[in-house]
Amino acid sequence: MLNSRLRPLGLALAGLALAGTVAGCSNAKESSDGGSSSGDQQFTFWDPYPQFDGSSDWVKLVSSCGKDAGATIKRTGYDTSDLANKALLAGQQGSSPDIIVIDNPVISTLADAGVLTSADELKLDTSAFAENITAAGVVDGKTYGVPIGANTLALYYNADLLKKAGVDPASVTSWETLNVALAKVKAARGKGITFSGIGTEEGSFQFLPWFWGSGADLKDLASADGVSAVNLWADWLKKGYAPNSVINNTQTTAWQEFATGKFGFVENGTWQMGNAAKLGFKYGVISIPGKDGGAAPAPTGGEFVSAPVQKDAGRYATTTKIIDCLTNPGNLLKTDTTLSYIAPIADVQQQQVTQNPKLAPWVKAVGDAKGRTSDNLGTNYPIISEQMWGAFQNAMSGSASAESAMKTAQEAAASKVK
Amino acid sequence: MSISKTADRTSRVATRVSTREERPPRYRRLLGWAYLVPVLVYLIAFYAYPLYRNVELSLRDYTVRSFVSGDARFIGLDNFREVFSSPTFASAIIHTAIFTFVSIAFQYVIGLALAVFYNQNFRLSGTLRALFLVPWLLPLIVSASTWSWLLNSESGVVNAALEAFGLPQINWLTSPTWSLIAVIIANIWIGIPFNLVILHSGLQNIPDELFEASALDGADAWRTFRHVTFPLLKPVSAITLLLGFVYTLKVFDIIWIMTRGGPGASSTTLSTWSYQLGFGSLLPHFGPGAAVGNILIIVALVFGLLYIRYENAQAKR
Amino acid sequence: MNRALKTVVGVVLTAVMLFPVYWMFNVSLTGTSDMRRDPPYLFPLHPTFTGYQAVLRDQMPYLGTSLAIGLGTVVLTLLVAAPAGYSLAKLRPLGGQPLTFILLIAQMIPGIIMAMGFYAIFLSAGIINTWWGLVIADSTLAVPFAVLIFTAFMSGIPDELISAAKIDGAGSWRTFLHIVLPISRNPIVTVSLFAFLWAWSDFIFASTLNSGGTMQPITLGIYKYIGNNNQEWNSIMATAVVASIPAAFLLVVAQRYVAAGVTAGAVKD
Repeated sequence: MLNSRLRPLGLALAGLALAGTVAGCSNAKESSDGGSSSGDQQFTFWDPYPQFDGSSDWVKLVSSCGKDAGATIKRTGYDTSDLANKALLAGQQGSSPDIIVIDNPVISTLADAGVLTSADELKLDTSAFAENITAAGVVDGKTYGVPIGANTLALYYNADLLKKAGVDPASVTSWETLNVALAKVKAARGKGITFSGIGTEEGSFQFLPWFWGSGADLKDLASADGVSAVNLWADWLKKGYAPNSVINNTQTTAWQEFATGKFGFVENGTWQMGNAAKLGFKYGVISIPGKDGGAAPAPTGGEFVSAPVQKDAGRYATTTKIIDCLTNPGNLLKTDTTLSYIAPIADVQQQQVTQNPKLAPWVKAVGDAKGRTSDNLGTNYPIISEQMWGAFQNAMSGSASAESAMKTAQEAAASKVK
Repeated sequence: MSISKTADRTSRVATRVSTREERPPRYRRLLGWAYLVPVLVYLIAFYAYPLYRNVELSLRDYTVRSFVSGDARFIGLDNFREVFSSPTFASAIIHTAIFTFVSIAFQYVIGLALAVFYNQNFRLSGTLRALFLVPWLLPLIVSASTWSWLLNSESGVVNAALEAFGLPQINWLTSPTWSLIAVIIANIWIGIPFNLVILHSGLQNIPDELFEASALDGADAWRTFRHVTFPLLKPVSAITLLLGFVYTLKVFDIIWIMTRGGPGASSTTLSTWSYQLGFGSLLPHFGPGAAVGNILIIVALVFGLLYIRYENAQAKR
Repeated sequence: MNRALKTVVGVVLTAVMLFPVYWMFNVSLTGTSDMRRDPPYLFPLHPTFTGYQAVLRDQMPYLGTSLAIGLGTVVLTLLVAAPAGYSLAKLRPLGGQPLTFILLIAQMIPGIIMAMGFYAIFLSAGIINTWWGLVIADSTLAVPFAVLIFTAFMSGIPDELISAAKIDGAGSWRTFLHIVLPISRNPIVTVSLFAFLWAWSDFIFASTLNSGGTMQPITLGIYKYIGNNNQEWNSIMATAVVASIPAAFLLVVAQRYVAAGVTAGAVKD
């Protein structure tokens, strides 16, 4: 009864399973990252670039640095939002990787957890690196890793649309002139500006240039300056200069909106340069304006290379060699071109600009940039950031006024920070 | 024989028969435990430790440092007090209640209607019914993202359709009024296949003779449904609703990907709040997150007890 | 309603339900500059195939692994749950009711807590970063549900059948194997479907327990297109489309085995 009808299905399923296993196994050898040669020590390497596989320049560079130091690298790419938790879990279980590349604001959290070794212990020389970029990894005067590259935010503009609207991009130097430009773009049937105001760290990242540009300080969210930054965003929505979707936009979706050609400006980062070349219209880049003029300090993105604590301190010597290899001025140009980052060393930045003049505005922006966890905010930053994004979300969606939203945020943050 | 008597016997589908003369002999009941050994080993190996960890995380003061080194201070119910006194607590409870009951109501009714409809043998009924499961093949990040795209304020096809009918734009995901409704809609969509498949299986177990007898008695489709189909489906419905309830309480990915529980806390449920407290910012804060997780487990426990009482009441009839 | 009309209504209902899936397909063929078009195109008028090229180039090994994990989970779940369901339904040991209750609660533990707990267990057992370790982890998504379903359905098997087998001299195991299991085709297929689907779409266990493994499921493969600042949505959606095809095929084939009138003729007046 049952058996005769199920048997063919069972065989089919077994066959598929076998095929699947064979397909999986036969490709397993090809998809493992990094080569393997006998006699070398194996070092584990974690980074947040799952989009790069064994054939990519990045992985080839990592393997060659390993080989030069006498080690075989086993590299794994993780989703960046997950990597911090994985690092903590691994630290708890004693299975930390030898080297980790991780987003800069997380360094202070990991350092606080006791998971990372300091640059002093590793005998790593950090003097060549730009201070404003290295500051993100400094906790209580000790440096816990070196920057591998930096990126930051600026305003991309649609040159064709601005021309049509009669806006000169060079005139956008303050909030007032920006608002004037947005009004002109709207009058010319375009849409003003788009950005990412989502309720995550990405939103805070995009909000900070305006917050810092108003003169406000993260230690006091409810200051008049801070409130004015929130009002800037909320007013853009009210006046129709920014679309409602910014409340949920990631930086990718904001870019996609800009790519439709209907927007005058988008706030986005260095990593879009490759995509910018594919736009169907002429574009340009200007610094994000501060409230009363000048360039606003934008937050630094980009990762740090760091060495988690290992039971066997003897491994550190090789680890230091590998990190040196990845970040010495000679190799940094290659690393940062591969990752589309701005180098954290002044000389190498010049080399980058010589190689690609389009990087000039970005080098300037990185020079003006600031680490989020700098000013010894360390692990207090995530607490403040979470309250801050709640505040501008509430203000933009109309649930609260900017003043009351920031006041609530400041009270909550103050009660939780150390 | 009349329908009602046969239906009566078959209706005790998932109930315990506790009349003395039908209880199996003692050795048989001990033998029963032999069959349960794999499940018991399984439960202890894979559930006991995570559950213990969850309780322990909620009773200690875990910072990132003490998480890694493992020596967190015992603070009793402090994490729970912090959770209860948080302004988000009330909203989270209310949203969870609305989200759960509305989702289940719609999922069950739609699933049942579809199960009855596709139970008839018309051409392609089997294939079409199987296609209803396709949404479950998609990783949640894909289905939730797709719904985000559909409901986008400016570029979503739903708003484009509304505009075509002259209706105003609805900010599905970015307005505090609509965000909960938007995630409920997506959740109903995801829950329909579950209800459809199980209820359909239950329908298959109703012998054809009962339907034939009902037709012979002159009952139309609605009366057959009310007096034959629905009562016989009660036990299967009970388990479907209970499991649906437990799974809906746990729903996290859909809400998180579509709205992150926002804007503000307008679509925050206990499940998303638990994750937000634990992992939502750059600084993990395990204690309160685990406390909310345990509150969820207690809520499920209460409803589980209600289900057991219902089952026992059925058996006594 | 005549049969042809029912088919039409059926097709319409299925189409409405699957509209988001169609949209996913639409996005997979959309180029970047059209992604946020207001109003959006209903059909991909300027299609781009870069997403599918990426998928065919990168994702096939991941599909194979997902298939193996899915089928493995089904087998493990059935092996553990079917005897348990039989026992709870027919043999009714003391303490069976509390066990049912515990199974219910077991499903409430949040996935991320389970994953963190498994990380510790798997690490010490040495089965981290293996695909079959993932089979064990994914089965925890299905086993409690499976036991509850089997219990519910097997309780409905008329006791006369069991007694008849006993009279013929069969012990409980033979009864289980030759009487109960064949009749339980419905719950077996139901449980198999859900076990497969849950294992197929699992992300949290794969991410926590197999990120460093050489054989990874498709849910991790998708992350190739999710960089830290940049997501390639047409590739992501293309992956989902391609991943759904073999599984959808399996689904349609499997549903033929959910029979009509299983207990037909079993109970006579």
